[in-house]
Amino acid sequence: MNRRVASFALALAFPALVLGWWEWESRQGSGHAYAFAPLGQIARSFAEMIADGRLALHAGASLQRALTALLIGGSIGIVAGVATGLSRVLDRTASPLITTMRQVPILGWLPLVALWFGNGDGAKLLLVSLSAFYPTVLNTQKGMQAIEERYAEVGRLYGFTRLQSLRLIAWPSALPLIFTGVSQALAFAWIATIGVELLFSASAGLGTEMMAAQVAARTDVVLVCVACVGVMGFALNQLFALLRIRLLHWLPAAGK
Amino acid sequence: MPMPSHGSARSRLTSAAIRIAPIAGILLLWEIAALSGIWPRQVLVPLEQIGATLLALASDGELERHLSASLYRLASGFCIGSVIGVATGAAMALSRNVHRLLWPTFTCVRQVPVIAFIPLLILFFDVEDSFKIVIVAMASFFPSALATHDAVRDIPESHREVARLYRMPLAPFLVRLILPATVPQVLTGLRLGLTRGWLSLVAAELLAADSGLGQMMEMGRQLFQIDVVLAGVFVTGLVGFLLDNSMVRIERHLGRWRTA
Repeated sequence: MNRRVASFALALAFPALVLGWWEWESRQGSGHAYAFAPLGQIARSFAEMIADGRLALHAGASLQRALTALLIGGSIGIVAGVATGLSRVLDRTASPLITTMRQVPILGWLPLVALWFGNGDGAKLLLVSLSAFYPTVLNTQKGMQAIEERYAEVGRLYGFTRLQSLRLIAWPSALPLIFTGVSQALAFAWIATIGVELLFSASAGLGTEMMAAQVAARTDVVLVCVACVGVMGFALNQLFALLRIRLLHWLPAAGK
Repeated sequence: MPMPSHGSARSRLTSAAIRIAPIAGILLLWEIAALSGIWPRQVLVPLEQIGATLLALASDGELERHLSASLYRLASGFCIGSVIGVATGAAMALSRNVHRLLWPTFTCVRQVPVIAFIPLLILFFDVEDSFKIVIVAMASFFPSALATHDAVRDIPESHREVARLYRMPLAPFLVRLILPATVPQVLTGLRLGLTRGWLSLVAAELLAADSGLGQMMEMGRQLFQIDVVLAGVFVTGLVGFLLDNSMVRIERHLGRWRTA
């Protein structure tokens, strides 16, 4: 018991130290308060942003964007992964292209996408979907190619058609890796969403709000948004992990 | 990927050709579409024009200026971030008190994508070089700290016990025991950190910079020079590929040294 109290105290010591230093800096004249917003001010901004619905608006817009892109990029990724996992010809055609495309950081495509498709919601969705596409296609493909020989054998014994062996053997055995791909895609899509919102400041979104707050020198608002991005990313991750356990409960190692 | 050594030179050539064929096909399609005139040439730029732009940028020193600015930021940020990261990770794994002190905060801050800190860092460091170095340092800090922490924690307790029995001083303990046992995992963390650093740097340069590959592309966008943007995309991809590839090579080399 004593030990737990001690480790709890130590865990709080570091953030307390940082916060104390921050608050002290904020009181060193107005020049400092510009960057170091006083803690009270940050709390007030947080309450204000919740009260006037601004936080919910921007967080909702970002969340919707990330999840829509996950749906688009993720489902295309799974279909492409199944196709390239089953067919050698497709694998040899598509894999070098995907590998080559992947070398460019997602946000590096941004100026090109802006010129070709403008900086509206469609362009943002395109880039975020692309970020969700890579991990799903790669993991799905890996999953489809790693079918245990004995299962494939059973399929041949029963004289399964290609469709049957896909539905009854390949798909279920690839599912754990597909879920891994989707969970990575979720994380990437969240990061990419914030990134495109920072750079394309057209509509609502946490990234856009942060950029606007930065231009207006509102460190307090920026910090509230940063915290919101972190908490939401964490929550999405945890929710998906729960969903995975729920859906893959029939697998012996589903929790992993 | 290592080439299978048993194949003859000819079959190796064939497999390389098979791998390159799809890329060549796409480039050919691009060229046909660009020359067909369906889209204006300023929008879908023919390959030879991208090449010419790339050459022009390279010969008048513009590309070198941007590339060296980006690489300087990447190198200094990566060195700072990964050195602090490895040290923090090792400290958290070796000392229970350091772990108690830092781990909860570390885990919390790690949840935030590094690029979300860009607006905050601009407020603190302005848009100068230091802001971009800090963002790269942050991006490479977290993966290297996490990998080092996990690697050191995974060292079997018996190894440490032996060191304790022999009353091994700290320096040889770190160099002769901890270092060799953790090299592969730490290198993987460093590689991830380098990739993330590059990604964050490109984003930061797109947003606010007076030089660098990201800024070159952003200027190209503002001036509607798609050829410059595409040249930038190409160089950015090439740099990313070379960085990752050389890290993989180092990993493989040191991995071999360890098992030998």
